[in-house]
Amino acid sequence: MKKKQSTLAFAVGLGLGLAIAVPGASAASAAAAAGAADAAAPRSNAAAAARPNALWSYQPVIAAAAPKVKAARWVRTPIDAFVLAKLEEKGLKPSPDADRAAFIRRATLDVWGVIPTPEEVQQFVSDRSPDAYEKLADRLLASPKYGERQARRWLDLARYADSAGFQGDQTRPNMWRYRDWVIKAFNADKPYDQFIQEQLAGDEIKPGDQDALVATGFLRGFPDNINSRDLVQKKYQHTTDMTDTVGEVFLAQTVGCARCHNHKADRISQKEYFQLQAFFANTSAVDDIPAAKGAAELAYEQADAKWKAATAEIRARQKAIIDKVREPARHYLLDRYSQATQASLRKLYSTPEAQWTPHDRWIINRFSDYGTDDVLAAYLRDNADPSAEQYKPEYAALADDYRKLGEELRKFDKLKPAGGSLEISAMTELGQTQAPPTHLLFGGDFERPAEEVQPGFPAAITSEKPVIVPTEKSSGRRTALARWIASPGNPLTARVYANRVWDQYFGRGIVETLSDFGKAGQKPSHPELLDHLASSFVEHGWSVKQLHREILLSSVYRQSSAFRQDIASADPENRLLAVFPRRRLDAETIRDSLLVASGSLTDKIGGPSVFPPVPSNLYTGNAWKVSADKDDWNRRSLYIFTRRSIPYPLLQPFDIANTQQAHAKRDITTTPLQALTLFNSEIVFDWSKALAGRVLRERGGSASAQLDGLFEIAYARKPDKQEKTTLLAFLDSQEKVLKAQAANGKFAVNVPIGLEKAGPLDPIRAAAFVDLTHAVVNSNEFTYRF
Amino acid sequence: MTDFNKPTSRRDLLAHAALGLGGVALGGAFFPSAATASEPVTGLVDPLAPKATHFPAKVKSVIWLHMDGAPSTLDLFDYKPELVKLAGQEVPASFMKGIKEGVRGTSNKLLATQRQWKQHGDSGAWFSDLLPNLATQADKIAWVKSSTTIGATHDISILKLNTGDLSPGRPSLGAWVQYALGAANPDLPAYVVLYNDKREPRGGAINWSSGFLPAVYQGTAFRPGDSPILHLNRPELVAEGEQGSTLDLLNRLNRGHARRYPGDTELQARIRSYDLAARMEVTAPEAVSLAKESEATKALYGIDVEASKSYGETLLRARRLVERGVRFIQVVSGEIEIEGEARNWDGHNNIESNHRAHTRAVDKPIAGLLADLEARGLLDSTLVVWTSEFGRTPFGQSGNGRDHNPWGYTQWLAGGGVKAGTTVGGTDEIGMQAVGRKVDTYDLHATVLQLMGLDHLKTTFLHNGRSERPTVVYGEVVKELLA
Repeated sequence: MKKKQSTLAFAVGLGLGLAIAVPGASAASAAAAAGAADAAAPRSNAAAAARPNALWSYQPVIAAAAPKVKAARWVRTPIDAFVLAKLEEKGLKPSPDADRAAFIRRATLDVWGVIPTPEEVQQFVSDRSPDAYEKLADRLLASPKYGERQARRWLDLARYADSAGFQGDQTRPNMWRYRDWVIKAFNADKPYDQFIQEQLAGDEIKPGDQDALVATGFLRGFPDNINSRDLVQKKYQHTTDMTDTVGEVFLAQTVGCARCHNHKADRISQKEYFQLQAFFANTSAVDDIPAAKGAAELAYEQADAKWKAATAEIRARQKAIIDKVREPARHYLLDRYSQATQASLRKLYSTPEAQWTPHDRWIINRFSDYGTDDVLAAYLRDNADPSAEQYKPEYAALADDYRKLGEELRKFDKLKPAGGSLEISAMTELGQTQAPPTHLLFGGDFERPAEEVQPGFPAAITSEKPVIVPTEKSSGRRTALARWIASPGNPLTARVYANRVWDQYFGRGIVETLSDFGKAGQKPSHPELLDHLASSFVEHGWSVKQLHREILLSSVYRQSSAFRQDIASADPENRLLAVFPRRRLDAETIRDSLLVASGSLTDKIGGPSVFPPVPSNLYTGNAWKVSADKDDWNRRSLYIFTRRSIPYPLLQPFDIANTQQAHAKRDITTTPLQALTLFNSEIVFDWSKALAGRVLRERGGSASAQLDGLFEIAYARKPDKQEKTTLLAFLDSQEKVLKAQAANGKFAVNVPIGLEKAGPLDPIRAAAFVDLTHAVVNSNEFTYRF
Repeated sequence: MTDFNKPTSRRDLLAHAALGLGGVALGGAFFPSAATASEPVTGLVDPLAPKATHFPAKVKSVIWLHMDGAPSTLDLFDYKPELVKLAGQEVPASFMKGIKEGVRGTSNKLLATQRQWKQHGDSGAWFSDLLPNLATQADKIAWVKSSTTIGATHDISILKLNTGDLSPGRPSLGAWVQYALGAANPDLPAYVVLYNDKREPRGGAINWSSGFLPAVYQGTAFRPGDSPILHLNRPELVAEGEQGSTLDLLNRLNRGHARRYPGDTELQARIRSYDLAARMEVTAPEAVSLAKESEATKALYGIDVEASKSYGETLLRARRLVERGVRFIQVVSGEIEIEGEARNWDGHNNIESNHRAHTRAVDKPIAGLLADLEARGLLDSTLVVWTSEFGRTPFGQSGNGRDHNPWGYTQWLAGGGVKAGTTVGGTDEIGMQAVGRKVDTYDLHATVLQLMGLDHLKTTFLHNGRSERPTVVYGEVVKELLA
C-alpha cells in the first residue's frame, strides 16, 4: 500500500518514520552479538549430545559411515549406499539407469522448472566423455534458471504475495524485491546459514545493507487487513504469523500448536511458545524505506512522474479537503478501535512521546500507517447526514467533492506504471531497542494475559539460552534467534532443509511430513541418509548447490521410472526407491515449459511483477490491469503478480501454493478443471499454435520430420513407428473434419503462428497440425516427468 | 509419487457411488467401505470419489446464503418493542456489560426500527414488513436468535463464518464437506460458489479456500452468465467435431503411453479427467441455464421483477445444482446501487434505504426457493441456511445507520432434519447481546455437518502433525434445531 504524503509527514512528526529509513551501521554491537553466538555454538552441540532420550530429531546430527552393500558397483555417491542397503535388506534390486534423454528432461525440469531444448538433449545424449553427468549437473546449477526454480519453492514457504490479502487486498508494490533477493541468493549459492540469518534479522546483522533489509521481507509477508478495529489483536496476529512460520519453515516444528495449550505431541509448553513469540515482540512492518535507485527505480520514477504531474492538482485538492477535518477525523477513527487500543492511542494526544511504552509506540505507529486519507474520508461520509452526531452542514459537499476527486483520480490510473516502486518493505524495530513485554496468553486469548515471559528456546530441543545484545536501533532479539537456528549445532535446521530438497527430487521427503519433525510427524524412512545429507550440507559450508549436486549425481536419481511388477508387489508405495518416482509437473513448470516449447518465453530475470491476461469472464475490476508490454505476458510464472484474492487462473487449478500460510508441499490432484484449463485456454492454445509454427518453420516440409521435431521438443524423444502412423492418420482424418466444417460456409481455422517465411502452406493441413500439437502438449507424457 | 493401487472394476465404483447419479467416479481407485471422512487422502487416486457418512444423512445438499455486509436482523426478524420505547436515549450501561471491543460512539443514541411488525404462520414468528414473501414461509424456518461471533470487521468475521478462523489458512465449510463426502455427481464440482454481482465477492477465493486440505477441495466459483466455469468454452474457431477428434487423438496418445506404466492409476485418472471435462462442457452450462424453466417458476423467484432478478436467477441456479447432486452451494449476495453508490448490506448510514433495496432483492427469491424446493420434494433433502458475518447494533451510527454487532444477531435454517418453527436463544430487550444458549459459527458448522451425516469431531485431516477438524477446537451441535 502506498503511503500518502501526509501520513508520512505525520510519522516523521512522531519521530518514527525516517529514523528507520536509514538503518545506521553498528558494527560493534553486531560483532558483539556474533561473538556471543560463536561462543554459544559449541555449547549447543554439547547440550544436544547430552539428551539421548530426546526425540530423534532433537538429537545431534551424526554423520554415519556409508553402509556396506553387495552391489557396490551401483554406488556412485554415499546417498546410493544408504538407499541400496535398505533395498538389499528386502532382497530388492534398484532399477537400471534411465536413458540419457529421459534423464536430461527429468533433471532440467527438476533443476530449472522447464523442459530442455532438443539441442541440449542431443548434446548430452552424444556426450561420451566420462564426466558427462557432472558437466550436465554443473551446467544446470550454474544457470540463473536454477535460482528462479528454487526461489519459487522458497516463496511457497515464505507465503509470498504481492498483495495484503483479506477484502481490501491492497497491492504491496515492494515485495518483488524480496522475491528477487531469493532468486539471487540461490544463484549466488549464498550459504544457507546466512540465508536464514538475513531473512530473520538482516536489519540487525547487516545494518545499512539494503539487500539484508530486503531479506526481512520473509517476515513481512503475512496477510493483513488495514481495517482492523483492534490493534492489540493485530499485533498478536502479526507476531503469531512470524513465530509459527519460522517454527515450521526452518525447524519443522508445529510450535503454533502450543499457542492455546501445551503442545499435545511435543514437549513444547505454552510458556515456551510465547518465549518464541518474544523474539518478535519489537518488530514492526515498514513499507516506505527508500530504495537505492537502480535501473528499475529510475524507470519507475520516470514513468510515475507522468502520473504525478497529471494528478498533482487532484491529489492536492483531496489533501486540502482532509486537512480541513484531519484532527476530528483522526479522533473519529480512533474512536472506532477497541478499548485496549484506544488506551494507547489516546497517549498520542495526552502524553509526551518519551513516556509512551514500547507497546504504545507499536499501536500508534500502526494507527498512523493504517489511517490514510482515504480512510479518514469516512469521517466526512458518515457525518454528512443531519442526524449524524458530528454533522456539519459543509460535510455533505466535502464528502461529495472528495469522492468525485477520487473518481477523477482513477481516470489517470492508466498513466501509472504497471509495477515497480521506489521503496522497500521490511521488518524492523522502528529504531527502538526496548521491546514491549510478552505475556503468556491464557488459552491463546490476547485479552487474557498471564505471566510475562522472556525470549527463550524450547528446552526439549536445546539447553542453550539466548544471548541477546541490543544493537543501536534494535533489540537484538531476532539476531539471537537467527544465530541459534543457523548454528551447525542446531539438530533441526540442516535436516529440515536437506529433507525439503530431497522431497523436490523424489516427491516424498525422507521425513514425509516436511514441516513436522515433531512426535506427531513421520519418522525418517532412511535416518542415516538424512543425517548424511545434513552433515555433508553443513560441512560444505551450507552450500545448497552442493546438496543438489550430490543428489543429481546419485544412482538413485538416475534410475529409470519404468514399471516393475516386483516392486509394485514388494513396496507398493515405493518408499525404498527401487524405481524412480514419476511426478506431475507443478503449475508453474507446466506453464513455463509451454513457454519454452512454443519459443515464447521472455527470458528476463527479476523486476516488478507482471500481469498476463486473464479469461474474459473473470471480472477483476482494477485488481488486475493486464500488462501493456506483451513481452511481460510470457515471463516465467514466478514473476506473475501474486494477488492473494485472485490466484492466476491458468495456474490455480494445478495445485499452486496457498499464499495464506507457509506452504511446504504441492499437492498433486487430478481434476476435470485442469483438463478444461489446459485444453480450452486461449492462452495455451496460442502457445500450441506457436509451437506448431516453430516445428513447421524449423523442420521443413516432410511430415515425418515435423513429427520428430514436435516430439523432440515436447518429450525429448522421437515418435516410434506406430505413433507416427497414428499421427499421420490423424492429420489426414482431421483435414477431412476441418474441410467438413469449412463446408458449413464458415471457413476459418487456427493456423500456426510465426510462419511468415514458410512459404505457401495448406491452411487446412496446418490447422490439423495445430490440433495435433495441442493434443501433444495436453498429454500425460508432456505434463509429467518420468 | 508412484501409486500402484490396483484399478477397480466399474461395478465396484458404482456400488460405492452413494447417490448414484449415473456417473462413474473420476479416478481409478475406489474407497473400501471402511473409508470414512477421516481417512487421509494421501495415495488415493480419486480424491472426489463418494465417501461414506458417519451416520445417515438428513440432507444431501446445503445452500449457504451469505448476506454479505451483515444485515440488521433488528429490522428483519428480531422484534424489540423495548428498543422502540428507549429510542433516542443513550445505551444503558447494563446492556454493554462485558463488551471490550470498541464501539464507535457508545454515546450514540438507540435507534428504533422504522418497520411494521407482524407474527406469521403457526409458529407466530415475527417478520418486519421488509420481508413479506419470506414471511409466508415462516413455518419452514428454525431460528437462531442468539448468534454470536468474534471480530467486528467484515474481513475477519466473514473468514470466521466460512472457515472458523479470523486469520486465513483454514478450509471453508464447503471444502470440508467436499473432502468428507466427495462428489455425488462427477460431472460437476461438488462445492460451488454463486454470486449475483458482476464482480467477485470481496476477498475472493479465500472464502471458499481449501486451506490446508488438498486444493482439489476448494470451491469452484460459477460466474454469472452462460459460461459459469473459466475455460469451459472451446478456443476460438475450434469446432465441436474438431475438438472431439483432437480429444480422441489425445486419448490414443495417453493410452499408448500408459501401457508402459501398467497399474498407474494416477495416469489413468488423468486420461479420464479429459472425458469428464468434455462432459462438463455440456453439463455445466446446462446446469445453470434457465432456458427450460417455466415463466411461473421464474416469477416465483422474482426474476420477472428488476429489483430481484439478479438474486432470483442465482437462487434458481442453486436449485438446479441441488437437483444435480452438488453438495454445497455457497451464495454470496451482491452489491446494489443505492443512492449512486454500490452497497452491500453494510448499513452504517441510512439503514432504511439500504435494507429496503436489499430486501427487495432477496425476499422473493428466498421465499421462492423454499416454496420451490418443497413443491419439488427437495426440501427434505436440502438445507438452506441464512447467515451473515455478524449483525448490527441497536444504537445508531451516522444518525440513521447501525454499526457492527457480533454479540447477538439472528440466523436461520430451513429444510431436511430441521425442527421448523422452533427458536433457539434470543437477545436482550434492545437486541444488543445474545441471551440463553449462544450459537457461535462453530456450533452452526457442527450442526450443518451433522445434518449432512458427519460428526464434526470425527471429520479430521492430519495437517502438520495435528488432527484438524472443521470446528477447530470448539463447536457443539445445536440439538434444539434438529427435528
